[in-house]
Parts: sequence; structure tokens; C-alpha cells
Amino acid sequence: MRLLVVEDDTTIREFLTRALTESGFRVDACGQGAEAERLALEGIHDALVVDLTLPDIDGLELIQRLRSQGVSSPVLILSARRSVDERVLGLERGGDDYMTKPFAVAELQARLRALLRRSTPGQAETTRLRVADLEIDLIRREARRAGVELQLTQQEFALLEYLCRNVGRVVTRAMVLDHVWKMRIDTSTNIVDVHIHRLRNKVDRESQHPLIRTIRGVGYLLRD
Amino acid sequence: MLSRVGSSFYRTAAWRLALRSTLVFAAGSAAVFLAMYFIVARTVRERSDSWLTGESETLRQVALNTPRDALYDRIVEEVAELASQEVSWDGGGRHVEGNTVFFAQIGDPSRPPVWVGPHDSAKFLDALRAMNIPQGAPVSLRVSGWREPFRVVALDMRPGDGRLYLGLLDSGAVHLLRQLLLRFFLGWVFMVAFGFLLTLLGLRRMLQRVDAITGAASSIRSDDLSSRVPVGSQHDEVARLARTFNNMLDRISSSVNQLRTLTDAVAHDLKSPITSVRGSLEVALSLEDREQSSELVASAIEHLDRLSDVITTSLDLAEADGGALRLRRETVDLSDLVHRVAELYAPAFADRSQQLTVTAPAPVLVTADVSLCTRLLSNLMENELRYAGAHAHISFAVFATGSSACITVEDDGSGFAPDLLPRVFQRFVKGRESEGHGLGLAFVSAVAGAHGGRAVARNRLPRGAQIVVELPVASADQEDRQIPDNLLTSH
Repeated sequence: MRLLVVEDDTTIREFLTRALTESGFRVDACGQGAEAERLALEGIHDALVVDLTLPDIDGLELIQRLRSQGVSSPVLILSARRSVDERVLGLERGGDDYMTKPFAVAELQARLRALLRRSTPGQAETTRLRVADLEIDLIRREARRAGVELQLTQQEFALLEYLCRNVGRVVTRAMVLDHVWKMRIDTSTNIVDVHIHRLRNKVDRESQHPLIRTIRGVGYLLRD
Repeated sequence: MLSRVGSSFYRTAAWRLALRSTLVFAAGSAAVFLAMYFIVARTVRERSDSWLTGESETLRQVALNTPRDALYDRIVEEVAELASQEVSWDGGGRHVEGNTVFFAQIGDPSRPPVWVGPHDSAKFLDALRAMNIPQGAPVSLRVSGWREPFRVVALDMRPGDGRLYLGLLDSGAVHLLRQLLLRFFLGWVFMVAFGFLLTLLGLRRMLQRVDAITGAASSIRSDDLSSRVPVGSQHDEVARLARTFNNMLDRISSSVNQLRTLTDAVAHDLKSPITSVRGSLEVALSLEDREQSSELVASAIEHLDRLSDVITTSLDLAEADGGALRLRRETVDLSDLVHRVAELYAPAFADRSQQLTVTAPAPVLVTADVSLCTRLLSNLMENELRYAGAHAHISFAVFATGSSACITVEDDGSGFAPDLLPRVFQRFVKGRESEGHGLGLAFVSAVAGAHGGRAVARNRLPRGAQIVVELPVASADQEDRQIPDNLLTSH
């Protein structure tokens, strides 16, 4: 998977390149709109990460130009501005997702993966998830650990499903609130930790091999 | 010094305005006076002209009917003399000083002209000969040695008998007109001067009050906003200006005070996390143990997240206070929203042995920004989590009352500190033992305000706190804007 990162701030560009390279992407990076346009028109990138404030042209205009010239790869917009209006405008002009700075790298990776999944169709919707000895039946809404059914509330089930769908990947508190509770609220409190703690009590208490881990400062990780 | 005062006076608006209005007034009144004068002058002239026309016709008849013999001159002179007597006496028999009449008949050069009138006849005859006077119509004739022009009418006699002239200098009328002109002029000068003085003084008095405002305003410095401009006892425009100015100063001074609180708070709330982030990272850098250094880096990230929240919320609050918070309004069921937020927070309340009750039996629809309302509710929940205390009973209720939707939050905790109560919705105001940034309730109030509602806080008896948030209910005329779900729920 090859990415094009367009970001004029050198520090951010470098850490993005490094973080995305480490998570297995091939990354091209540039800081100018004109250069970005030239690179994107080569048509070799699977997704684009575009900052809206570029020194030569506006990021929104760049996206619009690329779309009008037939570039169809998904575009993730980065912006320091945080108004809902701008988010809507960005998506109208051809962006596929929108993140405001500052952001967690884990979330950026997750969103890029989601965009790439969306652009490569043909994945069958699964009805069962399995991680080590944890089994989840999405249709009957049942979860079993080592064959024993777990007594989960609806919220706990949704949380576990989300963690399982992202097995092996870190999810942030904001991502959890967003996907499980469909809410966008401040993440400075430990409200998600409380839920994770309860879920962990039910999933991992009886087991020698805990599945749910807390990655301090970032979020949570479910892996075997 | 004096000349400087003088020249600065001539640059004042009072002087300029008074001068301008006086000039306009002077020109206007002069035009009116002159018009009146000319009307009077014409009437007077017409009176003497009609006498001249009538009398000259009589003289002509006499001259035509008198045979040209030796007595001719005598008879004509007598008649002319009589005619001149008519205008020398007024109706009451008093002699009119200075009225002068002359009669002349100038015929063929062999005979001397017939002359009745002042003694210097040669001058008159020269003037009459020099001027081509039309038949029958009175004209003005200037005669050397006389200050005023005569009105003269000329009539043709039989061929060979030449022309007959009758002239009149109506000194009484001239005197009257001159007096009239003089009085008009004096009256005009007095009126203009008096008007100018009155306007100037009035304007100066008014503008001196404006000057006083200017003086007071220029003495106000950014570090001392306490002084106010004099308002005076009147209720006119200048007093209104002064009052408006003072109101503006009140607002500025309250803004500046808020800004001071804000900068103090920012200095504290932003600098302490930065200090701890810096410290953590510095220590992490020097540690050999990877696990320990990871721990420090993680704590640094947590501090940064909090910092980022403070900045985001502060910006939102600043926008809300400046009326620039953009709302994406749609129909929101507050009851449903409270239930959903309560579900999220329920385990956290349970962990602290706090009891949360939600009373929201019926849908309460408002036209509001769902994202902001969610944050408003989560802020209220977090406020209770933090400050209601362990084992507190907390109840949320949502209901509609006429035109507004009410969200009430009540607890039986220790309530607001009395000194804090009036300011709980201000930014960076927080209790002494608070771990927060004092932005939560400020945000609640700002969101309520942005939606046209309000937030009220009070203490309950015998103990506990109550917060009531009122939002206007959904109205049919407000257009629902459908926003894709991912825009509102994703970061």
C-alpha cells in the first residue's frame, strides 16, 4: 500500500512518514500543493493524507483539482481548524475523511485502514469473530470465553465487538466513544476506562491469558 | 500664546458651523430685503411717472391750443409753473422740500427754448438734447450738478414746434427710499451679527461638552479604566453620547477584567501541563529502563491530551461568547440523548457509589446542535461525578415547559461554595479542591446561550446543588438540516 502525505509542517510530515512506514505503508511525502498534484497524478497511491493549509494552494482546492483530473484514491483531510462547517466542506470537495489536529497516530492508522477497506470492495460481512479462545456470535449477540458464555450488557458487547474487529490494533478512547456510543465528547476523563475495566473483569478474570490491554497514553488493544 | 488660542478657535467646529449658517442666513435675508426695496422703489417711480404722463399731456394740449405769439411763452410758463406747484405741496398743504420740476419746449434753433425750472437751464437743455428720449414713455435723465436722476417724459408737438419735455425730481420719494435702504441695511447687519453671536455661543456651549467628553476619554488609559465622562443634567444628544460612552467603558472594563482572569488562568492551566510534559519527557530521556521511560512518555501524552481539550474548549467558549459559534441545528430528542449519555456514565457513577436517576419519560424535541448538546450533557455528568461526592443521589430530569425544554440536575452533595455560586458559569472558575480547568460549566452556559437558552445554578435546601438548563423547544419554522451521521460522531 502506497500513501502520499501532503503536509507543509516539516516536523509533522516527518513523524507521519515514520509512523506510517512503521505500520507497513510505503510513504511519499511533500510539502507543496503543486508537487503534491504532480505526484498524485502519477496514479500510484492507494490513499492521500492532505493537510489543508499549504503554502502555495489551499488544500481543499488541491483535492478538488485532483478529483476533477480523475484521481479517485481516498483522501484523508488533516486540519487545525475544527468547525463542523469545514468538515462538511472538506467532504463535499472530495475528501473521504477528516481529522483535526492534534490526533493520535493510532487513530490515523485506523482511519486510513478503514478508507482503504472501503475502496477495495468484495469483503464478505462476517457473522462470527474469534480471537484465541474468545468467540463472538454477531447474530445471536453472544460471546464465549473458553466455551463459557459471558454475561455482557449491550454496551459491553458492542465494546468487545469493536475491540475484536480491531484485533491487534490500538484503539483510542475517542475512537471507542465514536464507534460504540456514537458520541463526540471530551476524552480527558476516564469514562471509557470504567467500561473497559468492567469488560475486562468479565472477559479476562477467569483466564490465564488476558486479551484486553491498556496502552497508557494511547488507548486499548485486544490481542492473543 | 494669544494668537495660538485665536487660531485654534477659528479651527473649531463651533466657529465653522456658526460662520456657515450665518453666511447662508445673511445672503437669504439680504435677498429678501433687496426684493422688498425694489418693489417699493418701483411703486414710487410708477406714481411719479403717472403724474408726469398726465401732466405732460395737459401741457401739450395747452401748448397746441395756444397761438404762437408773444404771449405763448408766458402762458405755457404759467401752466408749467402751476403744474410744478402741484408736486411741491403735499395733500395737507405743506411744502415738500426739494421736489423739483422742470418744463422745456425745444423747437427750431431760431427760437430760444421755453424753460420753466431751476436756473441752470443750460445743463438741463444740454442733457435733454444729448439724450434720445422716446415719445410718451418716462425715462431717467441724469443732469450734471444734480445727485439724483430726473424722470422725464417727452412729447412731440406739431412739426416745427419741436418737442415738449416735462421732468420731475421727487426728492421726497428719493429720501424715503434712501431711509428705507439705510434702515433695511442696519436691521440686516444687526440681525446677522446677533444671529451669528447666538449660534456661535450655543454651538460653543454644546461642543464644549463634547470637548469635555474628549478630554475625559483621552485621559482613560488601558491600565486605568475607572474614570468616566461627565453626563450633565440634560437629556439631549450630547448627554446620550456621554452615557453611551460610559456604557461602552463599563463593557470594556468588564471585558478587560475577564481577559485578565483568562490570561492568569491560561498561564496556570496551560503552563503547568507543559511543565509536567517537559519534565516527564526529560526524565524519560535519561532513563535506562524502557518500561519506566514508556510510563513517563505515556503520562506526557495524557497531559497533552488534557491540554488539547483545554484549548479546544477555550476556543469554543471564545467563539460562543463572541456569538461566532456555528450551530448545525437539527431536531434532537433531549430525553433520548440524556438516556444515552447516562448509559455511558452509569458505570462511573456506580463505581463511586453514587446513585443516578434519569427522569425523562416523554420525548422532548428541540432544534439544536446535537454534538454541542451531547457535550453539554456529558459536562453536566462529569460535574456531578467530580463534585457531588461519594454516595450522593443524583437525578437528571428532562421535561418541556411551554416554550422551553428544561434539563435539571440535582444532587444531595455539598452544593456550590457560596463565594463561587454567582460565578460558576464563568470561565476558569473552579473550587479550591477541583482538579478540572473550570471550563465545564462555562461550556454548558455558553452552549445554552448559543441556542437562545440559559443555565442557572443554585443551592438546594437543606443541602445539594441544582443546575437548570433551558433550551427553546423545536419550532416548525426552523429548517431541519440533515447531517450525515459520521460528521457528528467522528473526530
